[in-house]
Amino acid sequence: MEKRLEEKRMLCPDRILDFVRNYGAVVGILLLLIIFQCIDHRVLRLANIWGVLRNNTFLIMMAMGMTLVMSVRGIDLSVAQVADAAGVLTAFLILNGTSAVAAVGAGLGLGLIVGVVNAVLMAYLGVPALIGTLGMMYVVRSFELVLTNGAQPQMLFTLNHSITGFFLNIGQGDVAGIPNVLIICVIAIIIIYLIKERSLIGRHMDALCGNVRASFLSGINVRKTFAITFVLSSFLAAMAGLMITARAGGATPRAVESYLNDCFVAVYVGTLLSKDRKFNVIGTVVGCLFVGFMSNFFTLQGIGNGTKQLFNGFFIIAAVALGTLRAKKK
Amino acid sequence: MKQKKGFDIGNAVIKRGTGIAMILILLILGLRAPLFFSPENIMTVLKQSGVLVMTALSITTVLIVGGFDMGAGALVQLTCNIAAGLIISGVNPALTWGAGLGIGLVMGLINAILVVFVKIPTFVTTLGTMYLMTGMTALYNGGSALTFELIVNFNMMGQGEILGFPIIFLIVLLFCIALNFFFKHTRTGLRMYACGENKNAADIHGIDKRKLMILGYVISGALLGFTGVLQCSYNYGASAVDYGMDFLIRALASAYLGSTFSKTAELSMFGTMISGVFIAALSNAMVINGFSNQIVSGVLGSVLILSILLTVIKKREIGQVTIF
Repeated sequence: MEKRLEEKRMLCPDRILDFVRNYGAVVGILLLLIIFQCIDHRVLRLANIWGVLRNNTFLIMMAMGMTLVMSVRGIDLSVAQVADAAGVLTAFLILNGTSAVAAVGAGLGLGLIVGVVNAVLMAYLGVPALIGTLGMMYVVRSFELVLTNGAQPQMLFTLNHSITGFFLNIGQGDVAGIPNVLIICVIAIIIIYLIKERSLIGRHMDALCGNVRASFLSGINVRKTFAITFVLSSFLAAMAGLMITARAGGATPRAVESYLNDCFVAVYVGTLLSKDRKFNVIGTVVGCLFVGFMSNFFTLQGIGNGTKQLFNGFFIIAAVALGTLRAKKK
Repeated sequence: MKQKKGFDIGNAVIKRGTGIAMILILLILGLRAPLFFSPENIMTVLKQSGVLVMTALSITTVLIVGGFDMGAGALVQLTCNIAAGLIISGVNPALTWGAGLGIGLVMGLINAILVVFVKIPTFVTTLGTMYLMTGMTALYNGGSALTFELIVNFNMMGQGEILGFPIIFLIVLLFCIALNFFFKHTRTGLRMYACGENKNAADIHGIDKRKLMILGYVISGALLGFTGVLQCSYNYGASAVDYGMDFLIRALASAYLGSTFSKTAELSMFGTMISGVFIAALSNAMVINGFSNQIVSGVLGSVLILSILLTVIKKREIGQVTIF
């Protein structure tokens, strides 16, 4: 009798749904990796994994900023464009004789400026983030196109190494076999994780996500918290842009824009790893790795961009649909 | 007393500011390059604005019901490519209009189902379907442009003229009037407005939000599908360059700029249409003035930010503040 009951419970749709809700994402990601490995044995080779990790650091930097903004119910569509513009500006300045250190400063400064403008627009003037950052994206794009006279690539590797050495070392050098970009990225992950999960500002962000009105009434400076996320997001994006430029040894305007798609997929897949489908830093990092392996697999298989876009769309919808399934349970 | 007068002037600027600014900007740009005011060029502007205004009208439809559509431009591009592909493979051009409408309708329905029944936020849904549609476009055209020679009956719609007026503009005007009638003078249309303005109040009044949301997305999808075929007819085919986002930003800028015409920052079809024509005229005037195309995108971004800022200010004045 008892056994039959248990069997019934095992098979009842509620339990299956429960399982899908709680572990579906993780199981799905692992399954996909295994499928990739079965189709193409090169995917899980050590050299390949190392490559994916290294090339994913840029995406992780951008997506973490996006996570911060989205965790307070904002959105930043300008991240990829800021990364693009920061890289292009730095390369442009170095090519025109500015010292590498000053050029790096200018690139990061651009990120800060865009971040502050975004923050003022969204947090203090009350522009909806979706539309404000979309507008900013086009303003920044215009800036870099005008700067480079219509998307001329800025090649750094043509210059003497004594001029560009410091800058290129950021992206291409390594310390004891560990690439510099990976070290920067891990440090950034730790800092952002501490800000988001272990600091006062992070708590304020959580409060804002839960209930804006209540957090305002309890004395949180709502606007400031909202503003900080935009500044951080643009700054991280600028760093990512510099890293990409340093690694590639040059910057082509509009080349980094496609990172925006991957950012969205990573952030939304990342929500599945949190218990109450919140945007969280660690989830985003895992989401980035997932996106990285997927792109890597597509490249190894020689599958074009069209299919990748299809999968991007599918994953975004699937991730959020799974999330809503879980929310309905509550 | 004096203070009050000052306030009134400020009020008047806010009320009529958009229109005054539009005319001023075009006047300045036009005086620098008198070619801009030639009748031929004005007709060209109207022709150029056709596809843009149609996209903007469809996005206004969704915005009115309180939704959002990231994939508007992508859907236009998808149907444009499919229409071009069908024509090249020898299908009767008249049938492509049906195909465009059908595909648009289906995509609108998919959006609506995901938003209403699966309860995914509108932004995420349309972002996902946007990537689906760009992916499909890239797979369909294989990365190359689909172009064809002049087909008189088909290209008539996009390039032809009646009494000097571009046909595409007359079509758009017709759609604008029809949509305006639907939204301002029918019960369903007014209810859709109510849904977008204040969801809770609409709920209390017993309006079924889900049905109206589905209707909004389906109408908008069908319009966008039609727009894609119109674009194909205007362009003699489809380009392989991904211009979905460019279309989206122009359409959004038109919609929000249009909403600043009204005192309460309410979206309206005629407002959208006037702003759409203004944006087309602005791009045209800037190019005639010798500004490069690269600046135009930045100006469009600024126009979008400024218009939404104006909307926010107006809404704040009547006490409807919606921050994030």
